[in-house]
Amino acid sequence: MIFVGLLVIMLGFVIAVLSLALHSVGAQLAVVLLGLAVSLYGIMGVLNRAYLKNAIWKKG
Amino acid sequence: MRMKTTLKLLFLVLLAAAALAPRSFAQAPPAAAAAPVPAAAPAPKPVPITDADLAGAPVPSADARAKGDPDGSLTGTASDITVTDAKKGVTIGDLANQVGQNKIAINFVWTLVTGFLVMFMQAGFAIVETGLCRAKNANHTMMMNFAVYGVGMLAYWLIGFAIQMGGVGATANLGGTPPLSAEFAITLFGKPFGLFGQTGLFLMHKGTYDVSVMVLFLFQMVFMDTALTIVTGSAAERWKYAAFVVSSFLMGAFTYPLFANWAWGGGWLANLGANFNLGKGYCDFAGSGVVHAVGGITALAVSMIIGPRIGKYDRTGKPNAILGHDIVLVLLGCFILAFGWFGFNPGSTLGASGNGALRIGSVAVNTMLAGMAGGFGAMLYMWTRYGKPDASMSGNGLLAGLVAITAPSGFVNPVGSVIIGLIAGVLVCLSVEFVDRVLKVDDPVGAISVHGTNGLWGVISIGFFADGKSNYGGSWNGVAGSVTGLFYGDNGGQLVAQLIGVVTLVGFVFTLSFILNLLVDWIVGQRVSAKAELEGLDLPEMGALGYPEFELKS
Repeated sequence: MIFVGLLVIMLGFVIAVLSLALHSVGAQLAVVLLGLAVSLYGIMGVLNRAYLKNAIWKKG
Repeated sequence: MRMKTTLKLLFLVLLAAAALAPRSFAQAPPAAAAAPVPAAAPAPKPVPITDADLAGAPVPSADARAKGDPDGSLTGTASDITVTDAKKGVTIGDLANQVGQNKIAINFVWTLVTGFLVMFMQAGFAIVETGLCRAKNANHTMMMNFAVYGVGMLAYWLIGFAIQMGGVGATANLGGTPPLSAEFAITLFGKPFGLFGQTGLFLMHKGTYDVSVMVLFLFQMVFMDTALTIVTGSAAERWKYAAFVVSSFLMGAFTYPLFANWAWGGGWLANLGANFNLGKGYCDFAGSGVVHAVGGITALAVSMIIGPRIGKYDRTGKPNAILGHDIVLVLLGCFILAFGWFGFNPGSTLGASGNGALRIGSVAVNTMLAGMAGGFGAMLYMWTRYGKPDASMSGNGLLAGLVAITAPSGFVNPVGSVIIGLIAGVLVCLSVEFVDRVLKVDDPVGAISVHGTNGLWGVISIGFFADGKSNYGGSWNGVAGSVTGLFYGDNGGQLVAQLIGVVTLVGFVFTLSFILNLLVDWIVGQRVSAKAELEGLDLPEMGALGYPEFELKS
């Protein structure tokens, strides 16, 4: 899951860079915000969740 | 109860006043435009100065100088101008050279002294972090803050500076820095994407043994070290010392310089304006993104890998407060940091003479206003929510305001600064709670929220609050005009550029930091043993207690 999480986080960055191919500022803004949401989901929803599964306080 | 209600009301009134103020400022017609302007008197015809005029300049006699100069009127005259030919005396050429050198000298001194102030921030970070940790880890926490200065500097001197600034090109305020002119770039969407610099290794490579390059190195080095020391706070009380050394070296050599190149070294983010018509490109005056968000995001990556301290969460995942051992150190450290910030932000003009550098006054005032608003915002938030004006969060609020204003400090007005700082002060409290309770990432000092969350907020705020009044030589990032945000008439392009920078930080920098620290975890091991953690890291990791004469409870 860690690997998947990192891929999702990078995907958000790639989406934001791809927005540069668009010409409308409004469309660019929407795509960049989508990229940001994807990256944040990767960190909080995938990667962190994977780490919390084996959190030290669950073992105690 | 009445106190709470009064504070809530006061807070709401302040927020409302702050929110309304910039609009009225922005929409108000300029007073000067409405008033009739008297006809200007004809300008006097310029009189050319000749070498003969200079030869007649009054110079104190040797006898007069020999008697001393208690009021300073005889020191610093035409006789101090360096002449190229003693027979000719002072010429126009000599005078022009002296003026040019004076300008660069002012800028050198300014940049060096502000760099020295930023270096002193290491002391502030050290005692803030140590005060927020338990006494049993005092030596370990202080030593990480002490060592990161040298470890980071070594990495940056060997590799980092070349990656960051090797292709920056002309730095006009410092006399040009012509040796730093090789940027590696690829082509994407038909435009060049600068990725990293290629000169400056060891400060000797390809002519970089150069006075202006040295000044630039010193200033950029202390910024890099600030980013590195942010991570030591969030990973404190459980980070293996050897892992800290390797991790910090990698950050100073690669992670920080790479993003700094993209933003400040002539890389692709800075050129989003020139290449894609997005405002003036990604703008980050003094490093909310480059320094603080990079530090805060790396802190998040390292903290996730290391995991929380023993006892931070109970078996249900409910967080427990682990109090620091010295609030006096914490607040003193915050003051030292606030003082150092006068180097951080105003120093980022890289000069006090020429190219709009007189704006240092505005940058300094914006910095102090945002810090004040941040401290005030956090104090009021904690007071209304928990009934007491929490000292450590008030300190973090001050720092959050300063972090947030770092990027926009050169582009916004005082009202904008207060709003940015006030939002940062509340945001840091919300973010600390979110990281602690929702993400369940242990951050003993709140570094992820202070530097990460508010670093990103500072970057975004430019897209809204930049007022279009700054003028640093008539252009920014190679695009003519002033940096302007959405509230001051921009079409949104600047905001998009800022957000692309934010996604680069959250998406790319986080991933790179995470992978590098995962490698460190596999090779060195990031976390100390449970036994060492419970005992306190001073003896197991450092071999000596921070407070050997006190009996400590673990």
